[in-house]
Amino acid sequence: MTLTKQKNQLPVFKKMSTQPWSLLAPLLIVLLGLFLYPIIEVIRYSFTNLRFGRIEYAYTLHSFKSVFTDRNFLDMVRITFTFVIFSVTFQLINGFIVAFAIYIGEKLKLKGSVFVRTSVIISMAIPGIIIGVIWRMMLDESPTGILNYYLSLFGFGPVRFLTDPKIALISVIIANIWRGTANNMILLYAGLKTIPESILEAADVDGAGSFRKVFSIIIPSISPVLMICGLLSIIGTFNTFDMIMSLTGGGPAGATEVLALSSYKEIFVNYSLGKGSAIAAIILLINIIMAMIYFNMNKKVEV
Amino acid sequence: MKNKKTRGKKVLIYAIYILTAIFFLFPLFWTLCLSMKTVPELFQVPPKILPKTIHFNNYIHIIKNTLVLKYLKNTFVLVGATAFGTLLISIPAAYAFSRNKFRIKNNMMFGLLIFQMISPLVIAIPLYSYLAKLGLLNNYLILIMIYIALRVPFTTWYITGYMNTIPKELDQAAKVDGCSRIRIIMSIIMPVCVPGIISSIIINAMSAWSQFIIPFILVDKGEKLPLSVGIINLQSTSEAITTHYLAAACMISVIPMVLLYIIFQKFIVSTISGSVKG
Repeated sequence: MTLTKQKNQLPVFKKMSTQPWSLLAPLLIVLLGLFLYPIIEVIRYSFTNLRFGRIEYAYTLHSFKSVFTDRNFLDMVRITFTFVIFSVTFQLINGFIVAFAIYIGEKLKLKGSVFVRTSVIISMAIPGIIIGVIWRMMLDESPTGILNYYLSLFGFGPVRFLTDPKIALISVIIANIWRGTANNMILLYAGLKTIPESILEAADVDGAGSFRKVFSIIIPSISPVLMICGLLSIIGTFNTFDMIMSLTGGGPAGATEVLALSSYKEIFVNYSLGKGSAIAAIILLINIIMAMIYFNMNKKVEV
Repeated sequence: MKNKKTRGKKVLIYAIYILTAIFFLFPLFWTLCLSMKTVPELFQVPPKILPKTIHFNNYIHIIKNTLVLKYLKNTFVLVGATAFGTLLISIPAAYAFSRNKFRIKNNMMFGLLIFQMISPLVIAIPLYSYLAKLGLLNNYLILIMIYIALRVPFTTWYITGYMNTIPKELDQAAKVDGCSRIRIIMSIIMPVCVPGIISSIIINAMSAWSQFIIPFILVDKGEKLPLSVGIINLQSTSEAITTHYLAAACMISVIPMVLLYIIFQKFIVSTISGSVKG
């Protein structure tokens, strides 16, 4: 993803560049019609009291007021942030550990490095909705549930993975770590590859221990990549909808209902288009802020 | 001394390898095993991992008694059309971004990035409201256009980056010879962009394959559903369908993409790590 500033001094290039607009027209039409226009409409809806099945509506701030005064809204924000922070932290840690193990493993020419990498990457090929279904089967609370059976061998459980509100959020986070580690692993592995061999050798000569090498050389040199990973994970996790839908449906009792899910429920279960759009507008605002941070960070990394 | 240290390292790395492989493969392996179990095996306490025999009766049952094949066909249509249509729009646009200088170029690139980060839920809401009014829910042409709209920001951004690495002298000569831009793109630029094009086809196919919110909201006819939404319908009607059938349905919807991923692993890794340059 490079954004190069081209400076074509040759006069030939000046002549070459005819107008770009005919090449850009299809892109602009699709994006304006099916992306920008709906976005503007959501923002408009959020300032109305629209409901499905009712034609007349008025412009009002009531939707936002009712979102912010709703006690559930604070809960949802707390759930969303807990979900994002824990998912992203462990996706990063896991991604780093696996990437680092493979990085060292390949240096030592260990067998199985490709196998491990492939087994992590496979998780990316699986649709979020299926990840939810698969983990729901894994976390089955009945005596036939496999994870509870293994825990019982060690004298634990049975754990109410999906029906205890506190544990359900942890279950959703674990499934999301499963989902998001691969992306971080790939990026961090690419980052590790860019560390010059000479720096590591110099550290060896100085007699730095393995832990010191990791914390004072390796992690600082890939910190820009770590930042990008973190941000991409935050964005991906924040927009998660499908996996939670099939794993818990937002339950039990709203314990795993993140913002995206509640926007959907306001609109399609409570038919409150205004209020649901207000939540969607908040999601949109957060998405845009994250994109701006990403854009600035990416520019710095490129330089 | 040194040997001992390397051995310690190797043991530690293998421990990490084994734990990682178990964590990532076990859920899939368990689903595969469930998909071959019979009802008595399913309710066996304590549960055994492996099914008694390897058989595909559950797969046959699910294919015969649910719309899963139809879902699969719908998904293939959406995936194919999205992957192709996205390129059709993104390649010329990427060429313009890469070769032309114009004032709002950087703003437009930034706009693409923002679109890329926006949850599809946001645009699904007004689109539902319009399409429902116009009676155009379940319309595949519109559905495909929406899928494409969701993928063009990333694809254009990515292919622009790829084209920027191609020397401009390459199209300069053709331009002097009087070739049209479309011909230059088709016969000079595209052949050198093949790896980038393949990568974006795979990433877009994957994304269209797992797209959920859009069809979940904009399709309400059973026979028009793609797999992702079809599966959740199967799950919610779980009286009719027990776990071993659901597991079989999951495997059906996972296998094509997993194979594609394993085969094209290199492309995927290089695309994702594209934002990290040495």
